[in-house]
Amino acid sequence: MAVDRPTTTSPEPVPPSGNGPIVIPDQAGDDSLLRQFGMEEHPQGGFHGLLEVIPTKADYILDLIRANSLWPLLSGLSCCAIEMMSTATSVNDIDRFGMFPFRASPRQADVLIVAGTLTTKMAGPLVRLWEQMPEPKWCVAMGTCTTSGGRFKRSYSVVQGVDRVMPVDVYVPGCPPRPEGLIYGMMKLHELVKQRRGQWSTFVDRGPQRTRWEGDVR
Amino acid sequence: MTKVDPETRIPDPIELDRVEEERLRAVAGLTPVRTRTGEYAGFDQVGIPDRPPQTEREREVYTLEEGEMLVNMGPQHPSTHGVMRLVVKVRGEIIVDIDPVLGYLHRGIEKLCENATYTTVLTYVDPMDYLATMNNEHAPAIAFEKLYGIQPPKRAEYNRALVVELERVSSHGLMMGFLALDMGGITPILYAFINRDEIVDLLSAISGQRMLFNFFRVGGVNFDTNDEFFSRLGTWRGKVLKNIEMNERLITDNEIFRSRTIDMGTLTGRDAISLGVTGPNLRASGVPFDVRKAQPYSIYNELEFDVITQTGGDSYARYLQRIAEIKQSIHLIDQIIDKMPHGPVQAQVPGIIRPKPGRAYAAIESPRGLYSVYAISDGGPNPYRFRMRDPSFISLQAMPKLMPGRLVADTMAIMASLDPVMGGVDK
Amino acid sequence: MEHLRRPRPAAHALGRRRALTTPVAAGALVRLLDERLGSDFRDLWTDEDTVEVQVESPRAHDLLRTLRDDPDLAFFMLADAAAVDYGVGERFEVVYHLYSWKHPGWLRVRARVDRADPRIPTITDLWEGAMFHEREMYDMMGIVFEGNRDLRRIYMSPDYRSFPQRRDFVLPDDAADSPAAGVNPLERPETWDLTRFNQAVGVTYPTSELRDDAPSGAVEDGASLADKSRRR
Repeated sequence: MAVDRPTTTSPEPVPPSGNGPIVIPDQAGDDSLLRQFGMEEHPQGGFHGLLEVIPTKADYILDLIRANSLWPLLSGLSCCAIEMMSTATSVNDIDRFGMFPFRASPRQADVLIVAGTLTTKMAGPLVRLWEQMPEPKWCVAMGTCTTSGGRFKRSYSVVQGVDRVMPVDVYVPGCPPRPEGLIYGMMKLHELVKQRRGQWSTFVDRGPQRTRWEGDVR
Repeated sequence: MTKVDPETRIPDPIELDRVEEERLRAVAGLTPVRTRTGEYAGFDQVGIPDRPPQTEREREVYTLEEGEMLVNMGPQHPSTHGVMRLVVKVRGEIIVDIDPVLGYLHRGIEKLCENATYTTVLTYVDPMDYLATMNNEHAPAIAFEKLYGIQPPKRAEYNRALVVELERVSSHGLMMGFLALDMGGITPILYAFINRDEIVDLLSAISGQRMLFNFFRVGGVNFDTNDEFFSRLGTWRGKVLKNIEMNERLITDNEIFRSRTIDMGTLTGRDAISLGVTGPNLRASGVPFDVRKAQPYSIYNELEFDVITQTGGDSYARYLQRIAEIKQSIHLIDQIIDKMPHGPVQAQVPGIIRPKPGRAYAAIESPRGLYSVYAISDGGPNPYRFRMRDPSFISLQAMPKLMPGRLVADTMAIMASLDPVMGGVDK
Repeated sequence: MEHLRRPRPAAHALGRRRALTTPVAAGALVRLLDERLGSDFRDLWTDEDTVEVQVESPRAHDLLRTLRDDPDLAFFMLADAAAVDYGVGERFEVVYHLYSWKHPGWLRVRARVDRADPRIPTITDLWEGAMFHEREMYDMMGIVFEGNRDLRRIYMSPDYRSFPQRRDFVLPDDAADSPAAGVNPLERPETWDLTRFNQAVGVTYPTSELRDDAPSGAVEDGASLADKSRRR
């Protein structure tokens, strides 16, 4: 017999036992917005304003440690790199946030600040750098060229936004963003790090994309 | 094989060139080093390059003899010049040949400018040489004014020259910092960025932007300077020489710096002209060519300055040349402050200009060399062809001439002394 | 907006038509070129600070060699080598700019290159610095420089198949020029669905929630600037 089952099933409340996630039942999965976008089963769908896991004190301190010593990878491509260096030097100093060592090797870096225009020739090496970075890792798209192609919107060799090739956590707009703006972006990144909201684990790699329009002959 | 006589000392290969090394090995009775003819380093062996050679020069660079190795530096590496890839053929630690691979920052600016109005072009060209952005706008502005047949008012020309010279001070100061940084010294770059931040604060008071100013227009400049700006400029002027000297004191007489730059990357004047190197690199090799004196533009006819040259042509001479040019720029700024006239800063020019069909060529002296623009107009709102000649792009050709014989660690030091900026190299 | 309009005198009122920098002295160069090399080039033209010479592509190399080596001409420096595309049925042009101590102004040498078979002899034997110029011209326009030892792409990847700066290479979004013109729905107003703006979907916050300092009701309706300027 056909049982009329509801489209969303609220998970059974699990009694707190210390092992396994504690889910607060009256809100998680019950969201009309999630249903509308089909995101109930998305791994971050359950994060709608809420933490899936109540962290313990050790987790909290670990996240605090991670946030306060994010080591960026030296990935300055273009003009935004100069502003990134300006943020790193004496007047606006991100050493006070723990980000002094700009690591040259991706194996030792936490954050990839993509500063500068990403071109199609450079996209391959940059993605290789991203893949070489060990998790947990975060990506900051600095400047409008990495957010959306920026002032080179119609160019034949600029990737229109670095989120076409890698997951981005924080977008810092500006051309170039002021050092204060980049520091604000880093503060937002600290919030993400402390709340364990990174994009690296949820990225679906569809390969490099190009807008394909109907009738496009190129 | 005969026994090697302990009295025969074969010196370290770093001191020898290959002919001498072969001779000594033959004398000592050892087998010669190179028993095989060179093999092309294909994909299965090395990984670079991954296709058959397309040109003679490529075959020459990527053919390895015994004992040689290809080392790939970049496009991401700790040197701060931007994204450039150097494929270096080394034997041990000595560089034998070098192949720069460019294009990792090619943004297609020339093509974009063909679809932009003349004023918009002036904003597109900003991020080419991003350390001295006004120079990127100055040459197109002069070229478009030649096409349109007007000249900007005097105050505009003085404003232009003022910001260009301020950027020259900032850019040369940064070169000092980057040169020391590429050799491992981290303090001078901090001083250089303090200097740059002060200058950039001044410039952001004019145009609101720290780096990619939208300042020049066809027919003048967009914003004006006022008395408050000049009082801040005076304050800055009072302390800039001390800042520069504080930075200089760390490196100019430093024994490590001197031993790593003196007699490194020596470029003769004749080679420099043949390679197309211009700017401080050319003047450090002894050729007194400065576009501001050779083909005067803007108000440089009315300002008094000399063309400084150095003898030697090595990295140290290029470094000293830039310090001398900083001092000369400060002298120019003093004269500009004295002589700045009153008046309008922009000629009355329609928003979209349509110059008559024609061709114009304008060259200026940017901190990196001769920066020129060749513009063709067809009477419409967009330039028909807009071509920029960037000095860093051409100066990079000096590298395959300067590097062989040096150690791998000198690569970046020599490149930093040439001071390329990848935004301009790759357009 | 009268208080914002700055008085801007007209260009002619400034009294500065473009000052000619070298009107007289270039005559010597023109005469010299005419007598030494008159048979090599097709056309000679001079403007305020540039003397221009047009030449066919096979003769460009010899002309430049003479310009460089002749002691009276002495154009020792190659300032720029550029390529121009005049359209699909037209020609290419390779334009060289030269500088000499002895003559004021730049010398421009324009070499016509056939578009169907774009070949021109290389000048890397005269100036080594022309190598990157020629590689760039090959990469962007497809002009082949005969005799160049290293003619490969410099900006684009080695497997790139097109020549970007040609006139028939069209950037995306060039709606007017592209064969894909107007296929983007944003370029066709008839496809815009404006009915979706009829119902306000967004949530508007009353001002008191956003601003901590002002108490609610501080600005009554109709009194703020936005309210006054909105037509009712």
